Amino acid sequence: MSLVLEVNKKQKGKDSWEEPFYLNMGPQHPSTHGVLRLFLELEGETIVNCDPIIGYLHRGIEKLAENLNYNQTIVLSDRLDYISSAANNVAFALAFEKLLRLEVPRRAKLIRTIVSEMARICSHLLWLATHALDIGAMTVFLYCFRDREWLLNIYERICGARLTHSYVRVGGVRRDFEPEVIEELYRFVEEFPKRITDYETLIDTNRIWLKRTKNIAVVSTEEAFNLGLTGPCLRGSGVSYDVRKFRPYDAYSEVEFEVPIGQNGDTYDRYRVRMIELRQSNWIIKQCLDRLSETEGEAVLAENSPDLLMPEKVREVSAQPHPKLGVMFKPKEKEIVPVGEAFASIESPKGELSVYVVSDGSSRPWRLRIRTPSFVHISAISHMTKGHMIADLVAIIGTLDIVLGDSDR
Amino acid sequence: MKSLVEKVFLIEILRGLALTLKKLLFEKPVTIECYDKVIPQSYPGFRGRHALVRSELTQGPICVACHRCERVCPSKCIYIKTVEIEEEGKRKRQLAQYAIDASRCVYCGYCVEVCPVNALVLTEFYQYVGENREDLYFDQERLLKNWDEFIAKAERPYFNPFWKPKGIPEELFSIVKRKAKGV
Ligand code: SF4
Ligand code: SF4
Repeated sequence: MSLVLEVNKKQKGKDSWEEPFYLNMGPQHPSTHGVLRLFLELEGETIVNCDPIIGYLHRGIEKLAENLNYNQTIVLSDRLDYISSAANNVAFALAFEKLLRLEVPRRAKLIRTIVSEMARICSHLLWLATHALDIGAMTVFLYCFRDREWLLNIYERICGARLTHSYVRVGGVRRDFEPEVIEELYRFVEEFPKRITDYETLIDTNRIWLKRTKNIAVVSTEEAFNLGLTGPCLRGSGVSYDVRKFRPYDAYSEVEFEVPIGQNGDTYDRYRVRMIELRQSNWIIKQCLDRLSETEGEAVLAENSPDLLMPEKVREVSAQPHPKLGVMFKPKEKEIVPVGEAFASIESPKGELSVYVVSDGSSRPWRLRIRTPSFVHISAISHMTKGHMIADLVAIIGTLDIVLGDSDR
Repeated sequence: MKSLVEKVFLIEILRGLALTLKKLLFEKPVTIECYDKVIPQSYPGFRGRHALVRSELTQGPICVACHRCERVCPSKCIYIKTVEIEEEGKRKRQLAQYAIDASRCVYCGYCVEVCPVNALVLTEFYQYVGENREDLYFDQERLLKNWDEFIAKAERPYFNPFWKPKGIPEELFSIVKRKAKGV
């Protein structure tokens, strides 16, 4: 409402020919990848200004988490970036484990690495599919969804759900892999590089694709830092920063992989970075699978990890019985988790996902703060779109790889 | 020179077309004709419609009304009513009504995992709809009926992977769970 008033105010008393054209794109526009609303100021077809408006998918996850215990909070994390829920699960679990000072068994670490790399492949495939569809390549869309379906089927075997996995739990994972899953994953890592080659044959050198992506939304290294970009968007601008390399979590310190970087920082470079990441993820999964056989039969949950049903209060019996009243129960709240704060960040498929948790000793987080990549990336839209055409706006939204569930929380 | 040839003869586009043509002619289609010919089956352990296991002895639920599932549920959609009864001079707690509001459930499977007597299960059945809210409010009768429908088609003995997840240390389970063999 206020925006409409603002527009009216701006237009009042001016010759309408000189007026910029105001346009609302979204929140139901199919190529805004969810419910992003863009308030555009246009001159002809050129974008003068672009205001992203978010909040249509706000569910209050940070607040909801304050009423749920640590294990239940992981269920909420599925709903952040619902394309790669396994990676979000890992971020939450890592923060809580730091708080509880738990050491996760090696097998669980390897399994977590596998599922988060699978999440990366899923997410990048969905990104490639929708990005290509926005730009006009229909076939890639169909091929990507075919392969993502394969991964989702593997997820279904692993944890019984296709999108909202809730697979990781504080102190490990919920279930060990079945032998068939490992076989199927081996089949996948064998086959998948060929599929990547297929996608590249279709669009890598395609002249329409190049025209639509080269020199679109160029972000220099310095700008990328200033905008707070992370993940493939930052690496596309030539910065070799990857949380998996710089602050290794889970089993990333044992595996080998390369961090791809781009040179020009345009849409095409970011596309290339993600394509190379697909191959790297595939390689990481392969290495982890090889190592998984070394840990056959180990537990996948730390021994002192909390029960799913964490106690709300622990009653303490006072040490000396009272002479007249017998044993006294003091309804005193014992510390279930140590008082303090913990921070963990992971390289989620879209960028750096950080979780900061403050505990007051009860089984519920006192405050949970989530830094999601999509939220930061959306704020870069207005900088990146200046001077571009409306048709490029769609490519820019695509290249940032945003998910509105992630940004609105 | 090479780039000029590529430019004039649309090499890269032809290559792409050749790929799609190859897939079209020589590969099996990946899409299936769903629900007419094939009904996709979910894998064991899929978290689908809820059911309460019907005890063969009492023909009722085997739930002991411990409220663990009610407390672990992240979306608070399990409702349990209990009554206290006198039996052989001892006061006992018994289940009066058990209900799950499936429209609020997030299918996390925590309730199945914490139940000490394996009374609850998320079956692999996923093709269910409700035309109004009441259809998705499963009371005790509905939950038991769900079980009957599911077990009639399932392989016996049935053992849900979430009853005793593989790889979790044994000492974290109750005695009943450790000994459980399936129904
Ligand atoms: S599956 Fe999760 S949300 Fe659904 S009833 Fe069980 S505990 Fe509650
Ligand atoms: S946890 Fe199991 S036994 Fe306890 S109330 Fe729930 S269904 Fe009944």
